[in-house]
Amino acid sequence: MPLPTGPVLEAGIQSFTFHDGGGPVLERIGFAAAPGTLTAVLGASGSGKTTLGRLLAGWLTPGSGGTLHGYLELGGTRLDFGSGRAGADANGQHRVEPRIDPAKWGRQVGFVPQDAAAALSTVRATVAEELAFGLENAGVPRPAMVAAVARTAGLLGLTGLLDRNPARLSGGQLRRLAIGCAVISGPAVLVMDEPFASLDAAGAHELAALVRHLVASGTAVVILSQVIDGLLLAADQWLVLAAGTVAAAGDPASLGPETGLVPAGIRRVGGAAGVDRGALSTARTAPASTGNAEVPAAAGTAAVPAPPRETAGAGAALELRDVSFSYGPDARRPRNKGHWLARSRNAAQPPRQPLVLAGINLAVRPGEIVAVTGPNGAGKSTLLRHLNGLLRPTTGSVLVNSSDIAGRAAGETAAAVGLLFQHPRDQLFERTLLREVRFGLDRLAGAAAAGERAAAALAAVGLQGAAHGHPAELSASGQRLLALAIVLARRPSVIALDEPTVALDGDGLAVLDAAVRSAAAEGAAVVLVTHDLDYARTAAHRLVALDGGRLTER
Amino acid sequence: MRLHPLTGLAAAGSTAVITTAAGSWPLSLAVVAGALAVSAAGGTARRLLPAAAAVLVPLTLSLLMVHGLAYPEGRTVLAEWGPARVTAEGLGFALQRAVQVCAAVLALLAFSFSVSVPDLVAAMNAKGVSGRFAFVLASTLTLLPAIAAQAERIRTAQEARGLVIRRGLVHRAAAFRLQAVPLVLALVDDAGTRAAALEARGFSSSGPRTSYRTVPDSTAQRLLRAALLLAAAAAVVLRLLTSAAGG
Ligand SMILES: Nc1ncnc2c1ncn2[C@@H]1O[C@H](COP(=O)(O)OP(=O)(O)OP(=O)(O)O)[C@@H](O)[C@H]1O
Ligand SMILES: [Mg+2]
Repeated sequence: MPLPTGPVLEAGIQSFTFHDGGGPVLERIGFAAAPGTLTAVLGASGSGKTTLGRLLAGWLTPGSGGTLHGYLELGGTRLDFGSGRAGADANGQHRVEPRIDPAKWGRQVGFVPQDAAAALSTVRATVAEELAFGLENAGVPRPAMVAAVARTAGLLGLTGLLDRNPARLSGGQLRRLAIGCAVISGPAVLVMDEPFASLDAAGAHELAALVRHLVASGTAVVILSQVIDGLLLAADQWLVLAAGTVAAAGDPASLGPETGLVPAGIRRVGGAAGVDRGALSTARTAPASTGNAEVPAAAGTAAVPAPPRETAGAGAALELRDVSFSYGPDARRPRNKGHWLARSRNAAQPPRQPLVLAGINLAVRPGEIVAVTGPNGAGKSTLLRHLNGLLRPTTGSVLVNSSDIAGRAAGETAAAVGLLFQHPRDQLFERTLLREVRFGLDRLAGAAAAGERAAAALAAVGLQGAAHGHPAELSASGQRLLALAIVLARRPSVIALDEPTVALDGDGLAVLDAAVRSAAAEGAAVVLVTHDLDYARTAAHRLVALDGGRLTER
Repeated sequence: MRLHPLTGLAAAGSTAVITTAAGSWPLSLAVVAGALAVSAAGGTARRLLPAAAAVLVPLTLSLLMVHGLAYPEGRTVLAEWGPARVTAEGLGFALQRAVQVCAAVLALLAFSFSVSVPDLVAAMNAKGVSGRFAFVLASTLTLLPAIAAQAERIRTAQEARGLVIRRGLVHRAAAFRLQAVPLVLALVDDAGTRAAALEARGFSSSGPRTSYRTVPDSTAQRLLRAALLLAAAAAVVLRLLTSAAGG
């Protein structure tokens, strides 16, 4: 029996290698998390955080998922993997590799994957049922489930969404749901990969409170992150990863910015930024110590260059006139489930949906950068999908380069408007990075120019080395940068970026920042959606807030 | 009245069995009309009709070919090409068969388009279907929507990069050429991700499970289901007896 103060989850990883024939992804890592503690695993992109988190959570099982040499210990049960290494067993005794039972593991370790959608069962029709899914499988009686769902939804701001279809949530709502699914059964260990990504200020606040509460009630919480914020500053221990191994470990006080032990790619934000409030500028001027990306020289640390003056006669590159929109009727599940006769009456006359956008007016001039902020579910992503015609306003019109896009197919408007989706998985579908960037580029620029442009765009984001790799094998930040390259290679006159900073470390952020500035300098109108107010203030000429379907200048 | 999905299933299933067994023109026509009316009232007719056409048109044509052209008992010859003779009796028989098949298929389709899949899954779970089978059942029933969602996602991504898709089925079908390979790869990838989540959240555990979604059932509906099944069984028995007596 483990002592109550002993670690509940422990790992000793000599090496972990994926089956794809590459080198080890993780090497010489010791990890231990005790009940009632908060552990932060910090690392810039590509440092191996996500792999470590998935191993700890039992989502990446040694054997089928890759080769592990080392051990994992959960609740006092130790599993030794790959112990036959280096011929240690002189008498050639064959030892059976242990196997992780994901279901058993999952009962003790809750996991929130970096891509929140990956946590969903996809076989449940409402948010409430999705939350209850794990409890159903454990045979929890219904009254207890109902209570747990109500409580968890309350903690995460999901109460109003319980009847919604999980597949139709906004990015932040989805993140909240994934967290809810992981915490609802009260696991002894909770592992969360970048849980703050895409959360609005209220959501981040609620999550921090939830984590403190869980830690106080004895849960071992592990947060994997590439930014250090107020919550992580108060963690019990940090494990800093760089290039797949431990760069530093200890309590946060011993790893302050002055020690230089934490790689510069790991940003400090909010309360953790300290005196040096320009977290962005730190990352920008510091040498890229962990990233392999070649960071283009950013335009200094000064504020964004002044927006272009309004010249008489020159129209806005993008204009929204009184745009209103609501999602269609089958976007929400009817409450009267299973009414195969009576549902008819609803279907014939769908109930009116609330307006997501209610009379939006916005004009963006060439060269201007506008940041849109607003709470989760405010309709920011919905707004951006209107700019290239993927969604059509119920009333009102969208003008690109002074002409109404109403009559045109989305594919035609795409020549002038580039959209970076909130989730890179919504953007990527090809087999290699190069094919991905080239899709549709030939038609736009001609075959000869397309090849050059694609290569240049990949180089601009530091991905030229992986041009023939598979996009799904990139880290989350790699996928984001690839998506950015796709948009930039098309040289659109309107660029719409949906939460471009999510998953980017300091180096990635510098790449993004440089790209946005240079695109604007060349005359593109940029609309970017973000929850990162610091970034919005340094990067944009103008900030607008979307709330309650309306845009307000701020 | 709120219909339990299994009651709907029993109604559709026994209707199909009874019309097939009875083999009577008026009954088949009445069932066709009834199924269309139910689906129109349920607002599913627009999805039902193309699916029904896809199944029934080739089926009806082949029935007409087989029976219309080669019906041994046919006397009234309408046309003749060598060994192939079109007889009135043959056509009549083929039409009757076609209407019968239409009735059965429409009854089942009307059910499958109007049932709420989550309710059906929950009802099956409540009946003790669990473990691997529940997994297979749930993923099968949600497969089509999952494929449609993936295809839509890929199409959107491509449109955002300049793929022009005009309105209309033909244009969509033409554009699908570009989506097919990514779709298959995405589905494979998706299946892996989904399996990890389902596994970790205990979906394949063999212990007892509960259901959050409640599907109200009543004694009346249970009796109705039993009656429907009995009626279907009786129709089959009756049919066997009469054909034994007749032949
Ligand atoms: N496909 C859809 N069908 C129906 N409703 C949707 C769909 N997508 C989003 N919604 C809903 O519309 C509202 C606006 O969603 P949107 O994704 O635009 O929010 P957002 O501002 O981007 O939020 P976030 O900050 O979380 O990304 C939300 O309530 C969301 O649940
Ligand atoms: Mg969004």
